[in-house]
Amino acid sequence: MKIEREIRNDHLARIEGKAGVVVEIGEKINARINVTEGPRFFEVLARNRKYEDVPSICSRICSFCSIPHKLTPIEAIENALSIEVSEQTKEIRNMLYFGNVVESHALHLLLFVLPDYLGFADAFSMAKNYQDLMKKGLLLKNFGAMVQEIIGKREIHPENPVVGGFGKLPEEKEIKKIIYGGKEAVRASIELVDFMVEYEYPSFMNMERNHLSIKPYSGYGVYGDEIVASDGNKFKINEYKNNIEERVIPYSFSKGSYYKNSPFMVGALSRLVNNGSLIDGSAKDLLNKYSNFIRADNCFANNFAQAVEMVYFIEKIVEIAEKIKIKKEEKAKGGKSGHGFAVTEAPRGILIYEVEIEDEIVKYMNVITPTAMFLPMMERDAENMARGMWNNGYRDVELIGKKVEMAIRAYDPCISCSVHAVKK
Amino acid sequence: MREKMKLKIGIYGLTSCYGCQLRMASVKDILEISNNFEIVCWKMMSSKGEIEQCDIAFVEGSVTTEKDEEEIKMIREKSKIVVAMGSCAIHGGVQGSLLGEDYKKIFKEVYGENSIDYKAKIGEPLKKYIKVDYNLPGCPPEENEVVYYLATFGMGTYPEEKDYPVCAECRRNGYPCLLIEKNEPCLGPIIVAGCNARCPAHNVACIGCRGALQHNVAWFDSLAITFKNRGINKEEIKKRMEIFCKQSEKIEEIIEKVFG
Repeated sequence: MKIEREIRNDHLARIEGKAGVVVEIGEKINARINVTEGPRFFEVLARNRKYEDVPSICSRICSFCSIPHKLTPIEAIENALSIEVSEQTKEIRNMLYFGNVVESHALHLLLFVLPDYLGFADAFSMAKNYQDLMKKGLLLKNFGAMVQEIIGKREIHPENPVVGGFGKLPEEKEIKKIIYGGKEAVRASIELVDFMVEYEYPSFMNMERNHLSIKPYSGYGVYGDEIVASDGNKFKINEYKNNIEERVIPYSFSKGSYYKNSPFMVGALSRLVNNGSLIDGSAKDLLNKYSNFIRADNCFANNFAQAVEMVYFIEKIVEIAEKIKIKKEEKAKGGKSGHGFAVTEAPRGILIYEVEIEDEIVKYMNVITPTAMFLPMMERDAENMARGMWNNGYRDVELIGKKVEMAIRAYDPCISCSVHAVKK
Repeated sequence: MREKMKLKIGIYGLTSCYGCQLRMASVKDILEISNNFEIVCWKMMSSKGEIEQCDIAFVEGSVTTEKDEEEIKMIREKSKIVVAMGSCAIHGGVQGSLLGEDYKKIFKEVYGENSIDYKAKIGEPLKKYIKVDYNLPGCPPEENEVVYYLATFGMGTYPEEKDYPVCAECRRNGYPCLLIEKNEPCLGPIIVAGCNARCPAHNVACIGCRGALQHNVAWFDSLAITFKNRGINKEEIKKRMEIFCKQSEKIEEIIEKVFG
């Protein structure tokens, strides 16, 4: 096959981790996303180790979502050892988790996505012309970071959350800081949503897609034990291997996931597609106002969905903070052996952990990360973008390349996360 | 004229969680910092720039692929000063704790009989491949450390690395000793300070994320006696120390010295 054009970028800028993209434009147009970040074998790292040490290792899978990679293995370990944590612990964990989603979304939109939309190479040059926008973005990022600092005791890789509870509970004056900061952040996040609707989604990206998310235990939360698909199917977390198949990709250190033999999406858009009716507060008003921006068939809607989610999660953090009266409590305890599962909604989508523990020692662990899940679909959208541009008469390879990158960035890929996985 | 005097810095990532770059990006005064330095390349943050000539390169991550190896050598060639940033770059990081494992075997466990187009190996610290001028420890580094390093270079001097352990900061803050008072496997005595004993401050034993002190100082002997007397077993402590320190110099020696 004669290739007319090749677009190659060995190191995509403004994403987390290291990946490249190659698009071949010939009789057919096809795209490959090469994950070149080295394999890190976290499941092997966790093996034959005391379970208490494992969540700290897992959190190092990724910095942008170090909270989900800390709380999800904790949840899986607690599930395995029948450890029942208190309602108070659950609520504090929710605040921490939501804080991470807010920071991650803010970072992604502000530093990675908006420079694209506004025609800048980076947030630094964007900041000179868009001071107010940058200020709002940083305020949101800093609010998310503050929640993580107060509850996790460190913004990245916090060691305070442990199996059974926390090393130290937040103090009343710290909770007040969250309430105070949160009220300001809600306003900024609503203004950001209004800003996001300035952009149209390219219609040639429209395509039927399956969206997977959790069915939250309560509200539009991030914890659950059931996965739902937009095709109406649902399955319990312990059935994940029968429903999500991981395949090796020869040009990538990451595997790709398939649901019913097809690529699928996870993340903010998938959550809103499947669980949008569970949202309340200002975010609900925004969803009603801008309902046509949540398009299940277009990956660019993911960025809008992230902006809406920020509003929701900030309001929820404030709501929990206003309600909670922190009582001193001991960490919950349980057994020494067992087999457990957990699934949560990381900023980029569902995150699955499975763990087997024998006499306090982890014998087996499996992790499937959001980026490994949506990788095949992201590749398809890279192709959709190149094809759409080409068919619309564009021949400037650099421009097509830029737009392909934008389609990839819409997913908020987290490449460090994707490199993992051990077979069983 | 002033523009020309700005120091040129490059910020690079090898195989890692990207937390050190994120730490740098989320320093509160990042916009001011970006105005006072010329950032020649920062892929995580900008679409412009490749590995270019610069005064100071901050590199996070361990050398885990052939591409990492090529890149770190090129970075060294083009930079006057190279700073290894974070535990992966200084000690190999968590992925570096697989040192000694059969790579072919674990690769097969993950990818089956399939082959991947790129070559990889167990992650190793930068110093195995190039000369490193300074270490900026942490997993990730603390915000004030990032600012301190940038500020010292900016003023034409150099940062001083800490040569005392987390314990020193813990004692100074008056926290209860988790090792002695609660019998927990705290690694504070051998881990390089700078975090102001963050974890002991909230009743969590130090897991060693900043890496072992670079010099074989006297505390190791005291730690040996303490661990032994407290009945914490060798295997548990060894596994725990190795999460972040397996590739650090003297770690084997330390463990042997600690437990014999």
